[in-house]
Amino acid sequence: MIRSDAPILLEIRDLHARVEDQPILRGVNLTLRAGEIHAVMGRNGSGKSTLSKVLAGHPAYTVTSGSVLYRGADLLALEPEQRARIGLFLGFQYPVEIPGVSNLEFLRVATNARRQEQGLEELDTFAFDDLVQERLRVVQMDPAFLERSVNQGFSGGEKKRNEILQMALLEPLVAILDETDSGLDIDALRIVAGGVNQLAGPDTSTLLITHYQRLLDAIVPDFVHVMAAGRILRTGGKDLALELEERGYDWVDAELAQPLAGAEVG
Amino acid sequence: MTAMGTPVAVASSDPWSQALLSSLAPAAGPLEAVQRRGRAGLTHQAMPSRRAEAWRFTDTAVIQAIAPQLLQPAPEALPACGEGVWRLRLDGGEEALADQAWPAGLTPLPGPDLELALGQTLADTGGREHWPVLLNKATAPRVLALRVRGEVAPTLELVSEAGAGPGVLPVRVLLLLEEQARLTVLQVHRSGGANLTSVVVEARLGRGAHLSHGVLAQGHPEAALLAHLAVVQHPDSNFDQVSTAAGWGLVRVEPRVLQSEGSAATSLLGLQAVRGQQLADTHSQVRFGGPDGTLEQGHRAIADGAGRSVFNGAVQVPQAAQRTNASQLSRNLLLSDRARIDTKPELEIVADDVRCAHGATVSRLQQDELFYLQSRGIGVDQAARLLLRGFCAEVLAALPAAAAPWQPLEHLLDQEETGDPEGTGDQEETGR
Amino acid sequence: MSSATVGDLVSQPYKYGFITEIETEKIAKGLSEDVVRLISAKKEEPPFLLDFRLRAYRHWLTMQEPDWAALGYPPIDYQELIYYAAPRQQQKKASLDEVDPALLETFEKLGIPLSEQKRLSNVAVDAVFDSVSIATTYKEKLAEDGVIFCSISEAVKEHPELVERYLGTVVPANDNFFAALNSAVFSDGSFVFIPKGVACPMELSTYFRINSGDTGQFERTLIVAEEAATVSYLEGCTAPMFDTNQLHAAVVELVALDDASIKYSTVQNWYAGDENGVGGIYNFVTKRGQCRGARSKISWTQVETGSAITWKYPSCVLQGADSVGEFYSVALTNHRQQADTGTKMIHVGPRTRSTIVSKGISAGHSSNSYRGLVQVGPKAVGARNYSQCDSMLIGDRAAANTYPYIRSQQPDANIEHEASTCRISADQLFYLQSRGIGFEAAVSMMVSGFCRDVFNQLPMEFAAEADKLLSLKLEGSVG
Ligand SMILES: Nc1ncnc2c1ncn2[C@@H]1O[C@H](COP(=O)(O)OP(=O)(O)OP(=O)(O)O)[C@@H](O)[C@H]1O
Ligand SMILES: [Mg+2]
Repeated sequence: MIRSDAPILLEIRDLHARVEDQPILRGVNLTLRAGEIHAVMGRNGSGKSTLSKVLAGHPAYTVTSGSVLYRGADLLALEPEQRARIGLFLGFQYPVEIPGVSNLEFLRVATNARRQEQGLEELDTFAFDDLVQERLRVVQMDPAFLERSVNQGFSGGEKKRNEILQMALLEPLVAILDETDSGLDIDALRIVAGGVNQLAGPDTSTLLITHYQRLLDAIVPDFVHVMAAGRILRTGGKDLALELEERGYDWVDAELAQPLAGAEVG
Repeated sequence: MTAMGTPVAVASSDPWSQALLSSLAPAAGPLEAVQRRGRAGLTHQAMPSRRAEAWRFTDTAVIQAIAPQLLQPAPEALPACGEGVWRLRLDGGEEALADQAWPAGLTPLPGPDLELALGQTLADTGGREHWPVLLNKATAPRVLALRVRGEVAPTLELVSEAGAGPGVLPVRVLLLLEEQARLTVLQVHRSGGANLTSVVVEARLGRGAHLSHGVLAQGHPEAALLAHLAVVQHPDSNFDQVSTAAGWGLVRVEPRVLQSEGSAATSLLGLQAVRGQQLADTHSQVRFGGPDGTLEQGHRAIADGAGRSVFNGAVQVPQAAQRTNASQLSRNLLLSDRARIDTKPELEIVADDVRCAHGATVSRLQQDELFYLQSRGIGVDQAARLLLRGFCAEVLAALPAAAAPWQPLEHLLDQEETGDPEGTGDQEETGR
Repeated sequence: MSSATVGDLVSQPYKYGFITEIETEKIAKGLSEDVVRLISAKKEEPPFLLDFRLRAYRHWLTMQEPDWAALGYPPIDYQELIYYAAPRQQQKKASLDEVDPALLETFEKLGIPLSEQKRLSNVAVDAVFDSVSIATTYKEKLAEDGVIFCSISEAVKEHPELVERYLGTVVPANDNFFAALNSAVFSDGSFVFIPKGVACPMELSTYFRINSGDTGQFERTLIVAEEAATVSYLEGCTAPMFDTNQLHAAVVELVALDDASIKYSTVQNWYAGDENGVGGIYNFVTKRGQCRGARSKISWTQVETGSAITWKYPSCVLQGADSVGEFYSVALTNHRQQADTGTKMIHVGPRTRSTIVSKGISAGHSSNSYRGLVQVGPKAVGARNYSQCDSMLIGDRAAANTYPYIRSQQPDANIEHEASTCRISADQLFYLQSRGIGFEAAVSMMVSGFCRDVFNQLPMEFAAEADKLLSLKLEGSVG
């Protein structure tokens, strides 16, 4: 849903970032307004995950120039946990396994950290149990997963569902989902997409990173961006994704060969 | 606290060593100076006893029963040598080493270079004053010292055949691999009687060099083998060792590897089998002198009869050795209720970004595996043999191809079949 | 995450470092046969015990002191230590009301209220202050079930036959240097006796407090569980901060008869010295349990966070057929602490089973070693052992060593050992942080996750406390 008067939630301006000595992001510009769903596509290695991790504050990446405003305030100055508490969520492409740390306990601590920031009361174990049971339904996940260690031994698809469960608990304002569709079977894809749609609303914004049209059939984006060599090369509507599906990314090379062409809106 | 580095704290010699020393002709020949140092060492240091931590489980009785004199070589027939194998006997007279037409890439080290290089690797890995090394220094009349350049096509097969005669057979080798050099060596040690084969091998691997080192040791219940191996690896080098030993009254294998600046790859695979009253002992030590080194170590042992197998694997990861990735696995089969297994990994780590995993298992053949084979109509003996073969196969398969004519598997399994001398296993109680 | 910042976290001031001002009766410094006799006389002991002490002392004289120089620690001058120190009060009081209020206050400050109104409801406590036991709660209630729980000095007076029958039978007086020293001069400790068929109705607990700066503490604990008896026992330890080192050389003996089960848990938080390694307790302890009876079980659980040096190998001798030994350990070292701990599982009887789970966490310049022995004797047909030793390193100056010995003489036994070394990975930390969990909380979550298998073994009442203790040690000031 595009409303040009909707408040801006996230504004990325000319963002450059590197890992070790290697520049990866080379001038990303992107604005997310409340109510919008954006999709970012692009070849493997084009920098999509890097962008998402820079936004979440991963310590391995260094921002060399540019800025990111989250609801008007400097996001890059914040610790990763603070970003999460104020409503930025990243669903990881590769969620890590954390042996020994109970999933349930982890979810409760995280949820309460977010609630505290929102000025809501902390949930005790019982109240939290109720909440979790309810949110589990959103992703149709077996409660048995709560008893296990965080992501440990989860299958690829189970990890992704666990990510969406976290999103459902943390109720973010800006959700970045990095290839949440990969590794999901057909039913799971429908469930996850349903969950995302359910959680998206007029006050939130979602950034989907994906390679496949089938996710965008289920979650219809307002904007589609193509990323290449660390910046957004082109932006369009949902048809751009269909075009990409047909043409692939070869045209990207031609475009990259030219000096910085302004992103055309198609 | 590396127990291995501690010299045995006895100030004087023992009767066996004294007898050996007095049987020797005066020091002479190309290693005259080395011989002198070794002999001086032996007069101050006695044969290790079980009081020393590193020899706690290693009874040297077998050595003491061997005639304290040099072995008179009486070369026996060897199996035909395989294709692409360049064989050299290290047990014969002087002529064995003289005037060889060396394969491309191998050149004997000239005198002055030899003087510089010999013993350096031993010093770097802390083994210079180690008793088995002193014994070798005191007795070895010559050294095979080679410089290795480029890729050496044939496998270098170094054979020592002690035969059935009495005495000590010393073997000493020095290999200097230059940058990017590649060499495959197969060392074969055989014995057929009451004698001691004393081996010291030093190898230095330049940057990017690759040494595959196979050891095939086929012994005799009255024979002893002391094999000390010192290796220094420079960055990007590869050292793969595969060592198998069976049939010896006493065998002690001591690989010591130093990755001088880390960033190298070391692989140590070992297999040892004991039965009767035999004892096999592997004491390995790998030290990472810098970051990004890797170690893969797998040690397997089979103990039958009243045999005893000892494994002690030290891995040292000091602070400089960040991002080391080391794994060590010790698997042991205990086949008889008079046999014994002692296994002791020693991991010392002072770097936080490392991956070190180790594991050890001791058991008999897996019941469910045996049962599975039996349920397919295979008799229990044959099933056990099949499983044993499987247990050995992984290590044997890693030996250089040149090992085939020596029939390593057959030798190992025959060892397992030549009836256990029942009744001789007087149950010595464990003192602790 | 830079590991330096995690390192910063592991520095928390010691909470229990205060000194109680109380008049103390001490004997003169030094050790001699006369001192041994004096201790025995002060405690009005029967002749068998004086004999036991003297034999131990004479043996100790012939024993070799461990090599301190090799560790870089100065040798202990045994003539500079005081072997007996007791708060001045005539007799052990029959009622708590008569105990010096300063002592009660001390224990209350340590979180161990002893008075009737405040004491823990399901835990009986024996409170040991320097060399003597000052109070034991719930004695009468326990006596109703025939359970004896008292200080060992009282046991010597009231149940001499039991003490004589069991003392020194698991850890002989000449077992090792420190055990011999302890046998000669032990001052107090706890005694537990659970008669045949009784399941002890509450947790038993001893709290050890070292108060004097120049006193060695040599306590002695003896726990006997008769046929089919069960008991769960916990000890806790703290000491004030002195810039000298105090010696703590305890001996603990456990005896389990047929079908008996003893669970022994330790939360050790002796003063560890400061960040430069000045001061702190030398904790040299001999703990051993003997599963004498068939199907008996002894389980050790320890959370070791304190002491400058710890040497401790709680062990099980598995004699009875089908007996079970367990060892669950968390050892956290920081600054210049050294912990060398582990266990020995000696499988003697058939079908004996043992489990070892050890978690070592090393930070700062500390050194944390696991040293273990699994020995399977020729008669231990069908024995099984599973060991798991994991180390976590925080910072690149800490050392984690693992020395697991396995010796087997029994083909029909299964022994399995696994070990790994890890650090808190930056990605795991980031994952937790990206869900709103603060850095400190994330680190302590990971550490307690790492230790979970062990904490699960602690009695309920103490599991939370142990968790808190670790996070306290990990808490700090991060920007
Ligand atoms: N920590 C890192 N160290 C080194 N290189 C990195 C690191 N992270 C990312 N890169 C490199 O940066 C580039 C962009 O990676 P990124 O993960 O952002 O790609 P992506 O667009 O998400 O690709 P995919 O579609 O395969 O997920 C790649 O070339 C990658 O190898
Ligand atoms: Mg990606």
